[in-house]
Parts: sequence; C-alpha cells; structure tokens
Amino acid sequence: MKTMLVSVLLLLVGGVAAPAETLQIEGSTTVGPIADAFAGYFKTVYPDLQITVNQTGSGDGAAALIDGRCDIADMSRFMKADEFAKAVGKGVLPVAHVVAMDGVCVVLHPSNPVSALTKAQIRDIYAGKITNWSQVGGVNALIVAISRDTSSGTYETFETLVMAGQKMGPGVEYVNSNPQAQARVKTTQGAIGYVGLGFVDSSVKAVKVDQILPTRQTITSGTYPVARPLFMFTNGYPKLGSMVHKFCTFYLTEKGQELVEAKGFVPLTDY
Amino acid sequence: MDRDVTVALEPAAEASPRPLALTPGEDLLGFVGAYLGRALLLVVTCTSVLVVFLILVFVVLRSVPFLGGYDLTKFLASQDWRPTADDPSFGALTLIVGSIYVSVAALVFAVPVGILAAVFLSEIVSWKVRNVVKPVVEILAAIPSVAYGFFAILVLAPWLQEHFGFTTGTNALNAALILAVMALPTIISVGEDSISALGRELREASYSLGATRLETVVKVVIPAAHSGLIAAVVLGMMRAIGETMVVWMASGNATQIPHPWWDLSQSIRTMTATIAGEMGEAPDIGGVSHRSALFAVGVILLLMTVVLNVISEYFLSRAKKAAGKT
Amino acid sequence: MNLRTRGALDRVFTVLAGLSVVLLTLVLIGVLGPMVYRGSGAVLFGGTVEFRKMQRDLFKRGGSEALDAEIAQTEEARREVYSLIDTFRKGIDIEAISDAARRINRDFGEELRFKGVATERYTELRQRSRDIRDQLEAAFASQDINEIRTDLESVLQSADDPAFKGTGAEGYFKLAKDFLNAAEQVDLSKHHEYKASLQEVEGILFGSTERPGLLGPRPGGPLPPLAMLHYGATRWDQARQLLHQFKYRQFWVEAEPNAPLVRREEPRAALFAGTSLEPLFGYIQANAEKMLHPRFTVYWQYFLDDNVDSHYFGGVGPEIIGTLLITVLGMAFVVPLGVIAAAYLVECTADNWVMRIIRMSINTLAGVPSIVFGLFGLAFFILFLFPRLGFEPKPCILGASMTLAVLTLPVMIRASEEAIRMVPQSFKEGSLALGASKFRTFVTVTFPAALPGILTGMILSLSRIAGETAPILFTGAVWIGPMAKSVFEPTRTLSRGSYGIAVEDRLAMMVPHNQYGMVVTLILLILVLNAMAIVLRSRVFKKLKGQ
Repeated sequence: MKTMLVSVLLLLVGGVAAPAETLQIEGSTTVGPIADAFAGYFKTVYPDLQITVNQTGSGDGAAALIDGRCDIADMSRFMKADEFAKAVGKGVLPVAHVVAMDGVCVVLHPSNPVSALTKAQIRDIYAGKITNWSQVGGVNALIVAISRDTSSGTYETFETLVMAGQKMGPGVEYVNSNPQAQARVKTTQGAIGYVGLGFVDSSVKAVKVDQILPTRQTITSGTYPVARPLFMFTNGYPKLGSMVHKFCTFYLTEKGQELVEAKGFVPLTDY
Repeated sequence: MDRDVTVALEPAAEASPRPLALTPGEDLLGFVGAYLGRALLLVVTCTSVLVVFLILVFVVLRSVPFLGGYDLTKFLASQDWRPTADDPSFGALTLIVGSIYVSVAALVFAVPVGILAAVFLSEIVSWKVRNVVKPVVEILAAIPSVAYGFFAILVLAPWLQEHFGFTTGTNALNAALILAVMALPTIISVGEDSISALGRELREASYSLGATRLETVVKVVIPAAHSGLIAAVVLGMMRAIGETMVVWMASGNATQIPHPWWDLSQSIRTMTATIAGEMGEAPDIGGVSHRSALFAVGVILLLMTVVLNVISEYFLSRAKKAAGKT
Repeated sequence: MNLRTRGALDRVFTVLAGLSVVLLTLVLIGVLGPMVYRGSGAVLFGGTVEFRKMQRDLFKRGGSEALDAEIAQTEEARREVYSLIDTFRKGIDIEAISDAARRINRDFGEELRFKGVATERYTELRQRSRDIRDQLEAAFASQDINEIRTDLESVLQSADDPAFKGTGAEGYFKLAKDFLNAAEQVDLSKHHEYKASLQEVEGILFGSTERPGLLGPRPGGPLPPLAMLHYGATRWDQARQLLHQFKYRQFWVEAEPNAPLVRREEPRAALFAGTSLEPLFGYIQANAEKMLHPRFTVYWQYFLDDNVDSHYFGGVGPEIIGTLLITVLGMAFVVPLGVIAAAYLVECTADNWVMRIIRMSINTLAGVPSIVFGLFGLAFFILFLFPRLGFEPKPCILGASMTLAVLTLPVMIRASEEAIRMVPQSFKEGSLALGASKFRTFVTVTFPAALPGILTGMILSLSRIAGETAPILFTGAVWIGPMAKSVFEPTRTLSRGSYGIAVEDRLAMMVPHNQYGMVVTLILLILVLNAMAIVLRSRVFKKLKGQ
C-alpha cells in the first residue's frame, strides 16, 4: 500500500525516467488502424521508443501538425488549401506520404437481390430521387440510405467520386464510423451504405459499381471507380534515419505492406 | 434556508466578533487574517467563476466570424445544412427542431414515469423501501453516456426494427427513449425533493376530509408542489438537450424535419450531435467556415439553456416560497 | 362518484405508481443486463490451448512442461488435418505441382553437373528429364483421366531406370503416383472450384492475412506480422463459430421472386464429396476438442494486462490506471475549487444581481456540448496556459483533468451550495455566539454539517469525470500509447478506449467481448468509486448524528 502511494506520488510529481525518443501520431480514424499496426510492430523492434496514437479526425490531424502537437498527422484526404496556407504561415511545411489505398465499397444487406448498381443509380438513391428498391430492380421495399458523417474523409471521397456535385437528400442517415455503418447495414434489410474495403465481410454484400466489383486488384489497378489514397503528413521531409522517417516509409517494406493488408487496406505495390 | 432569514441575520453575524475585539488593535492578527482569508476565498471563487465565463466567451467569440458574415435569417430558417459542399450552406433549422423534438419526445416518456416514481417514493412507500429504490435511480445516473450509446445502437436499434417493423432503428424514438432514461434520475430526485418539502399538514387535512390517496395526490400534493415539479421537468429537459454522444449514436442524424410531425420512426439530427460529430474534422480556419458555424450552433444551444434556466429558476424560487409559507 | 369507484381508482393509482418503479428497475436491468452479460465474456470464457500459448508468448505467463505436453497433444491431433489437406492439394493444385516438377528438373541438372557426368551422358539425361517433366505437366493440365493414365504410366516406366535411382529425379515418380491417386478420386473438371473451396477451408482453419483461423497458422511456416494472426481461436465461443462456418457454407438464395433473399446453409463436405478431403469434415467435428483443449478460464488478469494489436488480445490495465489518475487529479482540482466557491457564494455575498448572473452562467454550462469543453481545454489550458507556465504545450493528463474539472465545476458548485445553504442557521449562530470567527465557524461547524451533501456532489462529478470521452479527446487521452510516467504525458482511459474500440477498427467486429468488456469495466469502476463515496457519506452521516 505504502509503495503504491509513493509511486502514485512520484507519478504525480513528475518525470521519473529519462525521456526516451517519442513519436506522436494524430488524425484520421480511417488511417488510424494502419498507424496502430505500425506502432505495434515498432514497439517490438524499438522497445525504447514511446509511440502514442490518437484518432480524432483528419481535420484535427492537420491542426495538430500545424500546432506542433504531433510528429505525424494521419489523413484520409489531402490537406485543404486553407490548411496549407495556415501551415506555411506558421513555418510548417506539410509533406504527404501515401501509405495505402482504400476502396469505398457500396454495401447492402445480404438478403437484397440487387448485386450491381451504376454510379448514377447510387447518386440518385443518396439524392433521394430513388426511394424504393423496386426502382433499381430489387424488391418492393423502402431504401434506408446510410452515409458517413459529412466531414469524414470517406464521405468526401464518396461525394466527389459518386455524387459529383449532387446534394445528399434529407432522408440520408449519418453514422460516425465505418464499423457503425457496417453494423447498421448488417441489421437493416433495406439499407445501403458505404464502407472501406476492410469492412466488407460475409455479413454485408458489396455491390458491383459500374460493373466492377471492389477487390484488391481492381482498386490497385484503378479500375474500381471509388478508391482513394491514404496519407501520413509530416513537417518537411523527415530527417533520414530518424524514427519519423522510418515510420513514414515503413509501408515500403514487405512487413509494412503485410500490415496494411492485415488491417483491410490495399498496399500500394505487390510484394 | 430562507433568504429573508439570512438577510435578517446578516448584521448579527457581522456584529458578533466585535464585542470580543473591542478595537482592531486588540486582535489585529485575527482582524487582518479574516480579511486576508476572505480575499483568498474571493480569488479562488473568482478563478472558478472566471473559467466558467471564459468558456461562454470562448464559444461566443469563435462564433462571431460566422454570425457577422452569414445571413442570419438563412441560418435560422433554412433547412439546408451542407457545411462541406463547394458552396456551403448552413441552415440550422432542422437541427434546432431536431433538438427540441427529441427532448420533448423524451419528456413525454420520462415525465409520467418520473413523476409517478417521485410520488411513489415520497407518498406511498416506507423509508426503508425508498432507501432500496434510490440506488437504482443513482445507478441509472452513473452509467456513462458511452454505455448508453452502445446500448442504443447495438441492442435497441435492431430490436425496434424487428418488433415494430421500422425501416430504420436509429431514429427519433430510439434517441427519445434513451434520453428519457437519462433524464429520469434528474426528474425523480428533484421532483421527490419538492414533494417531500411540502408540510404534513396539507396531506393530513386532505385525508381528514376523507379524500383517497389518489385524490390527495392529484388535487392537493401535485398542485402544491407544481413549481418544483415543473422545475424538475425543465432540468430533465436541459439534460436531454445537452446530451451529445448518445444522440449522435441513436438518432440517425438525418437532416430532416419528421413528416408527419408525430412520426417518431424517422431519423432526425440534433444540434449537439452535429457539433460533436463534425467538430473533429472541421478545418480550423477563419471567416465564415464550418467550424465557426458549429460554434454558432453552440451559441443557439446556450441561448436555449439560458431560457430553460430562467424558467426553472422562476419556478424553483416559487416552489421555495411556497414551501416557506406552509 | 361513489366510494367504490374512488377506492378502485385509488388502488389503480397505487399500482401504477408502483409499476413506474418496477419499470425503472426493468430499464436498469434491460440496459445493464445485456452489456454485463456480454462484457463478462472478456473475463469468463472457455480458453483453448491457443489462449494459453498466447498468454505464454505475449504475457510471459503460465509457460510450463504441462503446457508443452498439452501443445504436443493438440499438435498430434492436428497432424491428421495437415496430412489430409496436403494429400488433397497434391491432386488439385496444378500450379504447385507443375512448379515442383520444374524444380526437380532444375535440381536434377545441377546434381548431374555437380557429379561431373560426361557431357554426352549429361545431355541425354537432361533430355530425358525434360521429357518426363513435359509429360507430367501435360498430365497435370489434362482433364481426361485416360490421357492422364497413359501419360503417367509412360513416366512411371522410367522409375526403375538405374540412371534415376538415388537421384533427385525420384521426386518425379512420387509426384506422378500422388497425382494419379488423387486424380482417380476427383472430378478433374472441377479443379478450379476445388482450389477455391480449399482456399476457403484453409482460411477458416489456418487463418488468412486478415483474420485468424481455428487452429492458427501451420507450424513451421512463416509467421504473419500481426500477433493476432499467430494464434488460432483462443476462445471456445470463437472456435464454435468457426467450426460452424467450417461445417456449413452460407449463401443467400431467391426463395420466391420479388422477395428478399433468404439465407441457406449447405454442408461444406458436399463440395468435396468423393474426394480424399471428405474425411476431414468428420474428423474435425469429432476431434475439435482434442485439437483445442477448451477449458473454463477466469481471466482476471484482464483488469491488469496491457493489450496487444488494438485490443484483440489482452486487457485494460493501463486504461484503468489512466482513468483513475485522471479522475483523482480532476477531483483534486474540482472539489476544493467547487467547495470554496460555493462557500463564498453562500456565506460571503448577498443575493444580488451579480450572484444571479454567476448562478445563471454556471447553470448554462449544462447546455454546452462536452466536445466544446475539449476544444476549450485545448485552446486555453494546453495552447495558451501551459507555455506561460513553462510546460510543453502538448496534450497530457494534467490538461485532461483540468478540462474535466471545468466540466464538472458547475455540478460541484451547485451541489455544495445547496448543501451549505441547508445547514440550519442555528448551528452557525451557536458557533458565532461562542465567539468563533466566521472562518472558524465555517470550518468547524458549517462544513462538517454540509459534508454529506458535498459528498453527493462529489459522487455526481466523479461519475462524469470518469465517464466522459469528448472533453479529453484533444486534451490528454490517446487510443494507443505507453503507460504515463508523469502527469505531463498523455494516457489511455477507459472512456476513450470504449469509444475507440467501438468506432475505429474493424477489429471491433471480431472482439465484441472486449468491446463490452471495456464498457462494463468502466461502469463497474464508476460504481465502485460511487459505492466508496456512498459508504463514506453514510459514515459521515452517522458520525454527525452521533454528535
């Protein structure tokens, strides 16, 4: 008891051990799992390295890099012009590292007989022009359109690549993460949603978009129409040989690519 | 307890040390100490109050670029909330309506149960039973909102879909039910306090006239305690309106106003959920931006709580006066 | 209204009121029940031998000879699975056996050169070897059993040739025999289907690049980088799901036109009917327990262990410590501040408009969404205040607990204010009449008498401090990170973890027990802390009464 108290006191008073090398990563919830996996691997290789990973959002990732709160910002979208301007104003020069590719797959409940949709049909469903599955060759049931929250990178990809300027209809539901989108589609018969490739499993059905089924191959080759790169941003190109450098280039190694794949994303190259 | 009494006693309290310390010189240390202590307390109090003010200022200041640069009528009357579009529009009407809508729906569920439970605890059961039931209420209040959110999306939503044939389970009904559960502890404890504060005489008089318990409660107790009960309801509503995580997970977040208006099976979106869901990703840039618009929504929320607050203060002080009189 | 109706109405009312409380209790059970039930799975479950292996490797726990013996036993039982699959594969994996034939050819050439065989003889043998290889490849590619027989028989004629005896070329004949055996049993036109189905079966049994399988990767093979893929089903409930998946193939078919599809299950064994793999299905059903040794396990270390692979394995130890630290530190800020402010507001000021405004703004804070507190904490404490105090402007425990303290300050002030106001005036008058100063009166009389009410305020703030996620998202809580060594470092917490495990990774779908486990741990922790405060309150109450 006494030792515990003492240790708690020590803890409260402040730094006990000499500061080890640290690596702070902040940002997107989509890229986060890749950073998690890399961090887990780095922990085993460099036991002294202190890595913290926080997943808040791409916007916060950019802000954190600009404030100097983190070494690496995970982002599922590219930095916006305003963010760039602000960063440069504060003397931060953002450099993008593309670490993986992700496909945004349109998923349905497995009981839904529809198995292929065109981009135009998907657009009309989300715009609220098509409201019943029978309008796209399915059964007579209302469509529950489920979208990611409007400020997520996944939404942005979907909006740019599928919606093409059309506005989302008022009846569209919003959820704040891929697992929740998947969970909602899994439990709702008339649902349509979109999630990252890693979230497609036997409980939901990915549909062909413009006759292309989302797979690793179709995403790497660029034939699947709704795919995007995932980024890690650093302040300037990291010093060669530094931990930040090792971390940001880890995706180039075979291990790194295996990890990317294990987390359900598409590695940039075949190893 | 009563304000009038406090005021009456103030001079006495001031005067009491005087006779002992006839002149300041006699107990100089005590004299100075008392003032220093008072100053210290004042400083601490000011810090706390200052921080509270700072937050309010923080929210308001961050919303200024938006409120100054955007068409206010559009903000308040348009249903078009598209913050990330190339040509963004920030119509917050659906959000405001959504917040009020779920909170009121939650109260429809929570008020009858809450008031009945409050009456049950204060009028019907013995002290012992009450001591058993109270922890149930306290535990309901202690469950973190993350846990309620989990329950809403993973348990309640599929259940609603299966048993009620709703097309979607994350809807106004789901959010209202969960918010009702979260508002119940507040309603019950404040309501019970106000009912218990009534004197015995009222009830005894009613019973002695041959009234049944129901009649006593409905015709005597509730009218007498009505200000306290209304305050309880308003406080419950404040809890429901301010709740964030749960609504974000349970309500479906569709930017629409239910049509027809009584259809609880449709998804809706609230102000708090919008702020919580979008703030993390909104880029921190100046001017009329998504972020400043969210803070402006926060200001509306603050105004609404202020109004509710004024209402509850009014009724609570009336309740206190009523209790003081009997 | 006559008396009877009035009586009846009265009784109905009593029952209704009673029902409301019953409903309340039911809601509590309905909310907590499913979560506690599912969360208990994190601690109580059937642990398989894979679980014990994982515990030994990752947590350095329980390695012993007994475990080695157990692993040996299970490996023994699994050997049959490996051999059945290997035999079957030889018959259907054309590319693999063609590769093998080509490799034998290459190696045989190297061997001849190494032995220094004369040039003519070398050329002749190389030529024959190439012929055999070509014949084999032709046989492998063919779908006609008669053609295969002729090809293979001509290959096997060379088997007794002394030129090949004792050389690497013997591999050809083994390949040929194996393939002939396999080809007699399978429908050759189904090669591709078999191959795909076999891949699925192997995925379920040995795991894929994305999810772990029933038995874990085959011994001796290369290990995938993620630790979660190094093991098979560590829990018997997981194993049972995989067994079901293994036994039945699920698919959705149209039962009637213009209706939703319905789910059907078909025994997977039927896909392999008549092949050498068919016995595998019976074998695995019969020997699953022998291969995994499930045993009821109480994994109490869940509350101590760190996690591996974003909570796939392990427990919530650092999260609990982080939550406790933030809670204790947050309470250390909010309690003194709240009580002193309340004392000042009640004792030292009159009820004027300043007071009213103060009280109003304190109450208004209830309507500020918690995420705004997070942004405020980041902007004010971390980016503004810390650099001026000489601290690094980075999210840390100190920042998080200060932010949470601000969040709960209104609750604390309100509760303490009420409590202090409730102390009967006569107490204070008595003390003052005895000549005590105002300060002394407060410390010795008012404060102790108000203590139970103040403790209630503490209970309420404590629940919020421990349970809130949004305010600490930007100010000091992280999803993954080392144990904090000081208050100037960020930490993991239960609330952040519960949120993270629900929204951030597809792992969440694979480990619902850990998902609920974390939430239930959070609820339990809050309840334990509350219970402590409630006990303390009743003690104080008794002591006060005693005096």
